[in-house]
Amino acid sequence: MVNIADPLTQWAFRILVSVVMGTCLLIAVAFFRRWQQIRYVRYVHALRRKYRPILAKLLSGEQNPAGVEALRELTSADLEILLDPLFSKRKLPDRCLIFLQALCAELGLIELWQKRLANGHPAASLSSGHGGHQVSSDRPTTRHMLRAKSIRNLGMLRHRPSWPLLVSTLDGRHADLQLMALRSLAALSAPESFPVLWERLHAVVRGESTSLPLRALEVAIASFDLTCAPALFPALRHPDHQIRLHATEILRTMIFREAGRQPHFALKPELLTPQLVEMLLDELPADTSAEIRARSAEVMVFLADPRAPLVLRDLLLDHQWFVRLRTVRALARRQQAPAPLHLDIRECLRDSHWRVREAAIQTLISIGQEGKRQLYEHFLTSSDGTTRRQIVEVIERTGLMSDLVEDYGAGTTGVDALIVEQLASDGAPLGLSGVLRTLDPEIRRKFLDRYIPYAKSGKTPLPEGTRPEVERARDLQQALEFPPSMAA
Amino acid sequence: MSHLRIFIDDGVTVFNLVVLSYFFLGNGIYTALMLLSLRATWVHMRQMTYQGLDALRHSPLTPPVTIVIPAWNEQHVIVNSVRSALRADYPQLQVIVVDDGSTDMTLDRLVQSFGLVEFDGAYHPTVPTAPVRAHYINPTIPNLLVVSKERGGKPDALNAGINLCRSPYFCNLDADCLLEHDALLRLMDPVVNSTVETVVSGGIVRILNGCETKGGRVVRVGLPGAWLERFQVVEYLRSFLFGRTGWHLLGGTLIVSGAFAVFRRATVIEAGGFCHDTVTEDMDLIVQLHQWAADHNRKIRMSFTSDPVCWTECPSTLTMLANQRRRWQLGLCQTLWKHSEMLFGRKYGIVGWLSFPFHSYVEGLGAAVEFMGYLLIPLGIFLRMVPPGLLLVFILLGFIYGGFLSVGAVFLEELTYRRYPRFRELLTLLVFAMFENIGYRQLVLYFRFQGVLKFLAGSRRWEKVSHLGTPAEG
Repeated sequence: MVNIADPLTQWAFRILVSVVMGTCLLIAVAFFRRWQQIRYVRYVHALRRKYRPILAKLLSGEQNPAGVEALRELTSADLEILLDPLFSKRKLPDRCLIFLQALCAELGLIELWQKRLANGHPAASLSSGHGGHQVSSDRPTTRHMLRAKSIRNLGMLRHRPSWPLLVSTLDGRHADLQLMALRSLAALSAPESFPVLWERLHAVVRGESTSLPLRALEVAIASFDLTCAPALFPALRHPDHQIRLHATEILRTMIFREAGRQPHFALKPELLTPQLVEMLLDELPADTSAEIRARSAEVMVFLADPRAPLVLRDLLLDHQWFVRLRTVRALARRQQAPAPLHLDIRECLRDSHWRVREAAIQTLISIGQEGKRQLYEHFLTSSDGTTRRQIVEVIERTGLMSDLVEDYGAGTTGVDALIVEQLASDGAPLGLSGVLRTLDPEIRRKFLDRYIPYAKSGKTPLPEGTRPEVERARDLQQALEFPPSMAA
Repeated sequence: MSHLRIFIDDGVTVFNLVVLSYFFLGNGIYTALMLLSLRATWVHMRQMTYQGLDALRHSPLTPPVTIVIPAWNEQHVIVNSVRSALRADYPQLQVIVVDDGSTDMTLDRLVQSFGLVEFDGAYHPTVPTAPVRAHYINPTIPNLLVVSKERGGKPDALNAGINLCRSPYFCNLDADCLLEHDALLRLMDPVVNSTVETVVSGGIVRILNGCETKGGRVVRVGLPGAWLERFQVVEYLRSFLFGRTGWHLLGGTLIVSGAFAVFRRATVIEAGGFCHDTVTEDMDLIVQLHQWAADHNRKIRMSFTSDPVCWTECPSTLTMLANQRRRWQLGLCQTLWKHSEMLFGRKYGIVGWLSFPFHSYVEGLGAAVEFMGYLLIPLGIFLRMVPPGLLLVFILLGFIYGGFLSVGAVFLEELTYRRYPRFRELLTLLVFAMFENIGYRQLVLYFRFQGVLKFLAGSRRWEKVSHLGTPAEG
């Protein structure tokens, strides 16, 4: 039936046979890879099981010369397999890191990694190790990955003397090695490398280089200690607003990181140069770029300078809504916003943009009792229905409703009680129903005894569990025109 | 009579050429995509061994993300889906569930499971949507917001999610999907570490059937027992591991799964949000973004990475499969037709000159061409216009080449992610890959052809695929 002599058929047959052979090859390689993988996993498992106790002792600081000798007998590849899980973790305890660094130096691994980074060129002068591992023994197919892991490991160990090698890797051909070197430089945070990284960022912003992602550069530079911040001064004054913006963003991130570490962090002027402090107070908040003004507010909230609240007050009145938004939000970042600003934040409740109003409500709540008092007073005195609804929304979303109800049930007076009664006369908010459902029955009874006289109308019926109390108060309801919907 | 014969002869010859071009173009491009993906996935896997995700996880500059879950009558799966989203490993995460007017217990199950209470929420729509009925929260789970709105369809629910989200990026997640714990970090990695503005980042969707889950998390990966589901596992591997990876490498991404993808919110809003006029809003948005970027002279990037994983339940019955494939084909045709001006448009670059024509011809029209081929080729033999021997070899080549591509996908999986750990599963996958083109392909082709007919008939009906809940909950 099939005419083999036909050239077209022959041609089709050739393709067919090639495809069948290709399929068989793929299947064979797939099985081979699986088999190889199983063997590798078993080998790694056995290696780690054998040497883990020795490693644990050494990393806990125990003297174990025999253990070191046993490790020394391993090949560099096995040593790297053994230590790899430690380097894959982001944070090792500092004590552990010291011993790990000493161990790696003793085993000659630091020297090996540095040699790999130097791409075969001698780098021994930078290392204190005395290992004799050969870089040339690495297979070309794995060389790239080994270099990348070497970069990572030097960064993880915070081996500061390696920074020049890492900087030179930034000029390499491979984008992923550059990224790894950038991250390791960030981990080392060697002040000498700060200007180099800033120069790279500058080049990326100017469009002279596209090899490194801008965000990764920003993250790396922001990882440096705050003491490096004065080096940003020229950039904060740069005529190009993009450069100024990135410098401000980096400064902001450095400060936020410090604030995250210390609960009561304040940016004391001694940490920065007087020039920089003056610039933060005078120039950045008046920058032509709204993005920079917005970020300057986020720096300003931490600045321990008597002029800072005045600058923040101006920023709360900025003509751009998102500058006002970010200023209000920034004020929530400090546990205690400067007291003179409480009234200014309250003023933001009248802002024309709903997101600024919402942020102001959240900030007032986060400030503490004084902020809440300001918020409740505004709620009680304002005739703006939209803002009042926003306040109710945030009160419900933040769980504050529950506190208000509990306090009210416990007999609190003052503005906290007035707001509950006002909510009642406005019509019970939906969140109240949910809070009552989970409330202790005794507190709920007390709450309803006090609350019902103020309730004129309700948006939703009260929950099932509250029905008996409502029924008991029926006489009172009728007397006070309590709507049937509340008891339904 | 002789005129009719000449007409039929010419017709069959032309059709044969169309089928041949379809075969060679389709398989040629798929082979190129496979080779491209093989290298790229291999390199990516190696990179992840030393890069890791910690830099992103702990960076203060990692942008916040909101997961938007649109749900309509998803009572069996919604709770697990939301749990998996809430457990996602990401530094600043918000989850918004948009109940699109469900008529079943979807909303009640959410309220009960997460202790939600209704509150007086405000809705500020940037993209117009159907009205929102109610907002629900639990103050002890501050990163979860559930809204109930009037029925407006999946694009409408997604638009509501965009309106409610405050973060610069949002991730849409189907209500029947379970996220892997680090999937979002992996998805955001190309966004954060890109030198060009990345507006879309897609990940891989894998099949949940046959896996064991616990509390919204996959705890044991396995193959489903039924043949229909196993074929779909192979199909998904082929589609995601080398189809989408390959198009991404060429810069011609036209499809990112709407089940699981991250979008830059501002760009989506600028491009008009999700549209209602196709039944595949995900593909429509991607094409729309390409068009918008070219029209506005904006340089954007759409990324696809094959290691962020989201697990989904695949159709387990023929009826469900038919509904799904008809809808996909209908949506594909609608989207390609809607944006037809992009075809060979100079300003659209690789999308206009390669990706769009390929999708139009091979994926869109291809269903009709291949289906008609099965009908007309026997006619050609009957009329003695095609040598039966050559035809037999050709058909055999078609089946075997299809098998080669599917085996290639399993090979790629084995070389890189190796998600199916048992040796037996590898063997099963290879067997199903080899035989996928005999029977299953024709079945799916039939459903796709129905989709083309529905498009020609002007249908816009969404065919719902019901989900029965995650299997083997441990």
